Amino acid sequence: MSNLFGITTSALAAFETAIAVTSNNIANANTQGYAVETADLTSAIPQNTGESAIGNGVDVSGISRAYSSLAENQLNTSQTGLSQINSLQTYTNQIDNIVGTTAGGVSTALQNYYNAWSTLASDPASAGARAALLGQAQSLAQTFQSTSGQLQNLDTQINTGITADVSQINSDVQSIATLNAQIVVGTAEGEGQPPNDLLDQRDAVVQNLNKLANVSTTVDANGALNVFIGTGQPLVLQGTVTPLTVIPNQFNGSQLEVSTATNGNNTLSSSITGGDLGGLLAARTQAVNPTLNQLGQIAVGLAQSANAQQNSGLDLTGKFGANLFTVAAPAVTASRGNTSAVTAGATVTGVGALTTNDYVLSYQNGAYSLKNAATDAAVAFTATGSAANPSFTADGLSITLSGKPAAGDQFLIQPTVNAAGSFGVALTNASQLAAAGALETTTASSNTGTAAIGTPAVVTATNPNLLTPTTITFTSPTTYTVGASATSYAYTSGAAIAQNGWQVAISGTPATGDTFTVQPGSAGNDVNALAMANQETQGVLASGTVSINGATSELITGVGTQAQQVNTAQTAQSAVNTQALQTVQSISGVNLDEEAANLLKWQQAYQASAQAFSIGNSVFTSLLTAVSGTAS
Amino acid sequence: MRVTQSLEQTQFISALDTLESNISTSEAEESSGLSFTTPSENPAAAGTVNGLNQVLSQSVQYSSNASSAQGSLQTENTALDQVQTQLQSLYSLTLEAGSGTQSQQSLTALAAQATEIQSTLLGVANTQDGEGQYIFAGYATQTQPFALTATGATYSGDQGQRQVQIAAGQTVGTADNGDLVFNEIKNGNGTFSVTAGPNATSGPGGTSGPNTGTGIIGATTVTSASSYTGGSYTIDFTAPGTYKVLNSTNATVASGAYTSGAAIAFAGIQVTLSGQPATGDTFAVAPSKNQSIFATVQNLVTALQTYSSGPSQQTQLSNSLATALGNINQAINQTSTIVSQVGGRLNQVTTQQSVATAQQLQLKTSVSSLQSLDYPSAITTLQSENTELTAAFQAFTLTQGLSLFKYING
Repeated sequence: MSNLFGITTSALAAFETAIAVTSNNIANANTQGYAVETADLTSAIPQNTGESAIGNGVDVSGISRAYSSLAENQLNTSQTGLSQINSLQTYTNQIDNIVGTTAGGVSTALQNYYNAWSTLASDPASAGARAALLGQAQSLAQTFQSTSGQLQNLDTQINTGITADVSQINSDVQSIATLNAQIVVGTAEGEGQPPNDLLDQRDAVVQNLNKLANVSTTVDANGALNVFIGTGQPLVLQGTVTPLTVIPNQFNGSQLEVSTATNGNNTLSSSITGGDLGGLLAARTQAVNPTLNQLGQIAVGLAQSANAQQNSGLDLTGKFGANLFTVAAPAVTASRGNTSAVTAGATVTGVGALTTNDYVLSYQNGAYSLKNAATDAAVAFTATGSAANPSFTADGLSITLSGKPAAGDQFLIQPTVNAAGSFGVALTNASQLAAAGALETTTASSNTGTAAIGTPAVVTATNPNLLTPTTITFTSPTTYTVGASATSYAYTSGAAIAQNGWQVAISGTPATGDTFTVQPGSAGNDVNALAMANQETQGVLASGTVSINGATSELITGVGTQAQQVNTAQTAQSAVNTQALQTVQSISGVNLDEEAANLLKWQQAYQASAQAFSIGNSVFTSLLTAVSGTAS
Repeated sequence: MRVTQSLEQTQFISALDTLESNISTSEAEESSGLSFTTPSENPAAAGTVNGLNQVLSQSVQYSSNASSAQGSLQTENTALDQVQTQLQSLYSLTLEAGSGTQSQQSLTALAAQATEIQSTLLGVANTQDGEGQYIFAGYATQTQPFALTATGATYSGDQGQRQVQIAAGQTVGTADNGDLVFNEIKNGNGTFSVTAGPNATSGPGGTSGPNTGTGIIGATTVTSASSYTGGSYTIDFTAPGTYKVLNSTNATVASGAYTSGAAIAFAGIQVTLSGQPATGDTFAVAPSKNQSIFATVQNLVTALQTYSSGPSQQTQLSNSLATALGNINQAINQTSTIVSQVGGRLNQVTTQQSVATAQQLQLKTSVSSLQSLDYPSAITTLQSENTELTAAFQAFTLTQGLSLFKYING
């Protein structure tokens, strides 16, 4: 009889536990990291009566959580990928918008600028047309600056994001270390029963951590979780935490990098490829900076070609044109780790060879080497200058160094990053616009011969007498003198006559006494303005194959394509993540219908056990009644 | 496969995000009328549209340049028409002066008419366009190019020709400089000119003076362009019936007996003289040189004004008139050449304008086909997105209604 009560009591206790576990499951149906739990029931050790073994009721041997570390790892991996692409997408979409609207603005401003030159060509001395052109040049500069400014704002946002992410990561790894300590104690005390809820909590933190950066984990025998980041740098080892730090880039102090050290230049940035942090770092190196460089390349191309043309024409006062645009020289920054006083500078010498790459110049083993900052690929260069002050020419750049370098010294060279932001108009007075060609000619009215003079070409622009009016006088149909000099030259029709840095061809039959004069372009001359307007379709970039206008189209297509690729990748990664989430949920999730059924199951079992108890009780009462009946 | 309610809810929320963002994109497209509003929606088309818009803007600028060139060229054309009319009048006037029935008085009247023509020509040469720019001043369009002097006119412009771009790689001159139009006119027959005199002894006290005979210069021709090398010659009458031709170093290159109206040929050219030159009369042959229209008129006026009766005076007048006729003819030829060049350029501009108009239409069509929204398909998309969202709402409500707990009665 006591056996019957023992059995029913154990059953009532076990079903109560089971109902409690089910209720707990329902309570945690929406708790992140929670794995559905089940009460593990085992039959109690039977009582051997000698003839047979009668069951002794039921025991709760444990409460197990439905957990698959494989599925959990898959979820974490897909989640870190999704967070990375989400964060990258934020930036590519912003660039898409900036370039789609304001760089479209660069394109329109360029059009207006070139059209203003075309208009000026039809009336080169007109003050109105000159002022209009200067205004268009200024609005072009403003468009470059504002587009560049918006892109640079993204860099600032990225820095803010990096700092926030690193602080969140540090808080998460601290939680993991704390949970580790509790889990180690819990596991030891539980005598084989795992501290399920602590494990669930830790899993939730690891999930969060993976949203911030890609980490890898290992579990020790005592239940502690070790967390590693980047190329294996430990963040948590048992209860020890190594926090992440934010340090300035070794070259560019305004760019933040992630490290585990508080000083020095070692960064983990390149190995953080997942999570929000990975997305921020990728956005900077793959989207924001390349776009700035590309925009800068357009700015440098425009400034250099326009300035060169402006320098070869004459302004309204008859002087050679001064530079129309200003643009920053390539940014050359020394590494903070440099140990010598060596200094470096760079200039753009060939805009056609200029790329959108950044470069790192390093001094190692007694020699300089140049490599692409993004790909680490070696870049070929030509060295000139002295050993003490060498110069290097590579990809349209001339890099000059001075001072004695030390091994390990490095410089970052960014040819175009600041160009668009610094793009400005150098001229303040519209009369300084060089609309006139440098030289023009006059054929004397008194000439009786049939010879005609061609268009003079400037050979040596630096010749001080280039603009001195010079008369070519034919002393006979076959000889001529140049300027005041009496030296006589033999005339050949069509042959070049060179003087004062220019050359010109006279062809036909001159007569004795015929004169031709080469003189500076007059105020009404429109040759240079036409050449300026013509630059619109001239190839300037990429070895002269891409015009300034063409480059803006390439920029728009490039940025759009990148944003589109990221959008597509985001959709794909999102599907992968959903799949992983479904797998984890199908293993560890709480299905409320299932729990309802379980609840009914345990309730009914409980009721049946209670009924068994009641029956046992009535059997016992009957027995007592029978016994007392006999007794009375 | 176990499906949990919390996953269902999460997925529903993320599906809502996607569906609603799609609807928002569709709405943006329909309200802007553009099939893409950011480059990422269609990167290749965005780049192409940018390029096409650049070509379009350039083409519009070329059209505007062409219109302004057309205006300038038409102004020049009108001016040149007037020059031709004036030169024709001058030619008739010169012929009239030489008709032999003129008195000193009537010649003075003709001189006044010629002066009138000269000032009309000056006005035309100083024509300004609608913007106040002198069209015959070369580059120096702000400077009045011509001013009369005692011997003709000075030219203050230059020899530049302003160009306007009317198509990629195609420029057209908008005017011609005044030097070319009015000054650079070869005198004589364009190759050489013949002038009467001087006679070394006909002047007062035996000094050099005008010819005393009645030799009148007639037709002058080049018989062999290769033989005439641009030299100067003098036809010297050693006796009334005998001439010799001397070159610039006084060497005799030809000589013979003179017959009135017969050609005197030498060095690849022919000069016809008529009348009776006196002993010592000379005729100078010189290579043609530029002479402005204004100088030609001035010379004519001087000749008409200085006429006084007498056979020698008549001969001088005839020779002056013959020279003037030749020079006027040269000026008419020169103007005709320039008029036909201007016509050619006008043609070029007109052709280019119609090409540009067609090009712009085609570019706009291309831009529109790439960028403009296909409304029927966009509306259909929006409707189906709407339906999708409604369906998602209904499905969610339906599945959320399904719960076993509803059926457990306590």
